[in-house]
Amino acid sequence: MRLRVRFSKTGKIRFIGHRDVARVTERAVRKVGLPVAYSEGFSPRMRMSFGLALPTGYESDGEFVELPLVDSALVDGAQGGAGASDDVAAGGPAIVCRGGAHAPCEHEPELDAPSYCTIAEALSEALPVGMEVSAAVLTDGRGPSLQAAVRTCGWRFEIVGLDEAAAAKAVAALLAAGTVVTERVHKGETVSSDIRPSVEVLQVVGRSDLGAVLSAELSATPRVVRPSELVPALASAHDMGKARRTHQWTCGAAGRAEPAVPSRCAQRQKETLSG
Amino acid sequence: MQQPRVGSDFTSWLLAYPDTYEIGLPNQGLQILYELVNERPDASAERAYAPWIDLEAEMRTHGLPLFSVDTHRAAGEFDIIAFNLSAELVYTNVLNCIDLAGVAVRSAQRSDADPLIGAGGHCAFNPEPLADFVDFFVIGDGEEVVGEITDVVGAWKHSGKRSGTREGLLRDLAGIEGVYVPSMYAVSYDGAALVEVTPRYPDVPPLVAKRTVADLADWPYPRRQLVPVTEVVHDRLSVEVFRGCTRGCRFCQAGMITRPVRERPAAQVREMVSAGLERSGYDEVSLMSLSTADYSGIAELVRDTVTGDASPHDTAGGASGYGTADAGADPSRISVSLPSLRVDAFTVDVAAQVSRARRTGLTFAPEAGSWRLRQIINKLITEEDLYGAVRSAYSQGWHRMKLYFLTGLPSEMDPDTEAIAHLAANCARIGQEYTKRASVTVSLGGFVPKPHTPFQWFGQNPPDELSRKVRLVRSALGRNRRVQLKWHDPAASTAEGIASRGDRRVGAAIEYVWRKGGTFQEWSERFDLALWQEAMSACGLDLDWYVHRHRGEHEMLPWDHIGAGLHRDFLWQDWQDALAGHGLPDCRWTPCYDCGACTEYGIEHIVASPVAPNGGSQGTGQDLATGHVVPVELRPRQLAGAGAPAGGGA
Ligand code: SF4
Repeated sequence: MRLRVRFSKTGKIRFIGHRDVARVTERAVRKVGLPVAYSEGFSPRMRMSFGLALPTGYESDGEFVELPLVDSALVDGAQGGAGASDDVAAGGPAIVCRGGAHAPCEHEPELDAPSYCTIAEALSEALPVGMEVSAAVLTDGRGPSLQAAVRTCGWRFEIVGLDEAAAAKAVAALLAAGTVVTERVHKGETVSSDIRPSVEVLQVVGRSDLGAVLSAELSATPRVVRPSELVPALASAHDMGKARRTHQWTCGAAGRAEPAVPSRCAQRQKETLSG
Repeated sequence: MQQPRVGSDFTSWLLAYPDTYEIGLPNQGLQILYELVNERPDASAERAYAPWIDLEAEMRTHGLPLFSVDTHRAAGEFDIIAFNLSAELVYTNVLNCIDLAGVAVRSAQRSDADPLIGAGGHCAFNPEPLADFVDFFVIGDGEEVVGEITDVVGAWKHSGKRSGTREGLLRDLAGIEGVYVPSMYAVSYDGAALVEVTPRYPDVPPLVAKRTVADLADWPYPRRQLVPVTEVVHDRLSVEVFRGCTRGCRFCQAGMITRPVRERPAAQVREMVSAGLERSGYDEVSLMSLSTADYSGIAELVRDTVTGDASPHDTAGGASGYGTADAGADPSRISVSLPSLRVDAFTVDVAAQVSRARRTGLTFAPEAGSWRLRQIINKLITEEDLYGAVRSAYSQGWHRMKLYFLTGLPSEMDPDTEAIAHLAANCARIGQEYTKRASVTVSLGGFVPKPHTPFQWFGQNPPDELSRKVRLVRSALGRNRRVQLKWHDPAASTAEGIASRGDRRVGAAIEYVWRKGGTFQEWSERFDLALWQEAMSACGLDLDWYVHRHRGEHEMLPWDHIGAGLHRDFLWQDWQDALAGHGLPDCRWTPCYDCGACTEYGIEHIVASPVAPNGGSQGTGQDLATGHVVPVELRPRQLAGAGAPAGGGA
């Protein structure tokens, strides 16, 4: 079984790279005492697999990591295994962490997979400021990897110094075009490609103090198209401001879905706390 | 993460490390002071690191000053900016940071309200090269004195830092034991020779003696080690297991100036390890000291750490807040790294304990290739010790190790230098018995004589001589594919030599190098010896005289008014013993020689074990004179590559 964790990356922490995200995540998992499996061999490392890499400097509301749990990690509540707390819900097994077992959340019975909001909170607490865990759900670990499963990403980004009307015109022009050829540098070489087929949704959603704010859904296969590639095609004289990944969408038997949705329960607890 | 308090009422320290964040963040001394200051109700500490050249350029273009990483407060707003001096080549960065803070680089040009510039760390034991730029130095352990300085500066701050009061404040600081205020001393020369350093006021002490905390148990810091979100050089938990070392290696300044040995009680070490792992999420802990295998009970400590038994169940329960029985990360995942291992203390037992978790790199430091030379430098380890340690390591599954040597040591002759190659080849050969992949990396450093050591009188080898010795080792190694050779740039050793034993006049050359853009001189891609040579001649200083000249017994040395606790006649006698090839056993397990470090301070070693924990040449009372009986070569050189059987070894 795997624990699939959804987290955000906002504020100053957006400047740390993918390897550093992996490092701080690993330390947070150890602090919480989550029973995550390690690789075999001479230098065992904690096993974890992330979703699609987020470009450094981008914020995100929807990053994912999957943590394979060791076999002994799960305790069936009905059998009252060692360390299981009394109030294990019927929704799934408890996960035994150092210091005790975490029962699945009873407030979200409608979810397909058992959700562990107390683990989500403990992980948020253990992670640096700006990385908040919004969901932790148990999956069977079958099916394709997250990286292979994600079809499109949702984005929200600013174009500095462009007003909403001009942005709307540029968006309409781009959507009406048959092809949108852009250039980017890949492995030291400039390659040009048509990104029009990758743009599934593009719209102006408002403005910030820097300029127009757009949202987009861009395909993630065969490669992840980034908002920074769109901006020159929309307004070549303008720079992109802050950009944030809002969603990663998969396409399964049940249709378009996210690997895990933010837990309302964890949010509710947060609101009570802050409020 | 701790949040320093900001407010004009707090006496504020900016603790600055004059190198990049990646290098500076793990520094333990800085972290200890950071916590101690922030625990005070009336003070706050923040941190700053030297911006790399690209960031510095941006800062200067946009008129941004040096700022703290904690709250981004401008450096010029702090009451004190204090630098950690762990290496001489960072001195130009110190000047650069002062300048970036918007403060005049020369102390004499600062105004009353400017931040005080302080410095501490091992290099402060010869403060003279930075005397014109730093308002006060701390000599020795900082734990106690940081509070005393805060008191004095706080009183001044609250009196309004009125104009004309800075001189009085500096005079007050000079009255604190262990604080050296260079502007309170007049220095006179007779031609090149230094003749006198005299206090300018009667209440200023003629000799500034170092501070020593008597018992490490009183200072269980850092309690909350900083855990960086980006990668840094030592990205693991660090726990200092003892301070000081009396093995008595004559080249080693750290060992001489940090005497006596003060072990942290085992229960406290265990508490710090388990609490530290618990709160940081690290899976690796470094047990720090100058020679960790000498810690009493080291094998048990390492074993308990990797098996998770290090939690101090038997100490005051619950006091730490980490009271659960299975506190700490998954024990089977904890690795232990032991920096600075002595080969005579690295036994199979220790090797087996360390290797239970992930294996990290192993470095041994025989320092010199021949027993003759090791007696001169008092690194009293025999070849048998080395081969035994190497065998222990290979037998426990390591296949790569690093051997560290110094070249340019006093009385070193070519056979001594070439013996480095033979030792390395023999070690690689022992490894072959265990694994085909066995390899050895030899790392050569050029010896730079350091103040307050018996070798402080020795003239450093010039760079071309150091380069010749590198070539000598290389040709003696021949085409041995099992041994890689690395060496430190001999030119950098020369520049280090200028600052290491320089006097106040050398400050002008350091300023010259800085003004010509010579920052980050510790970084090989930025280092430029020509710039240092140009600076020395522009300032009318003779590089040879400062670096390559032997000093006589009666010459006044620039750091003679700084007390490291060691009697000068003890050091001179040890220098004479060195030249005569006499070794001196470790005073922690044998009678005292009255070097001064304990006797002058009314303190003594705090060592739990009455004998060296893992035996070795000294602890077992082995006759030191028999070291040479071990064959220098395990196989004749002409047989290199042939399958001659290994002799000797364990
Ligand atoms: S005073 Fe004696 S016991 Fe103390 S460090 Fe010096 S020689 Fe050793």
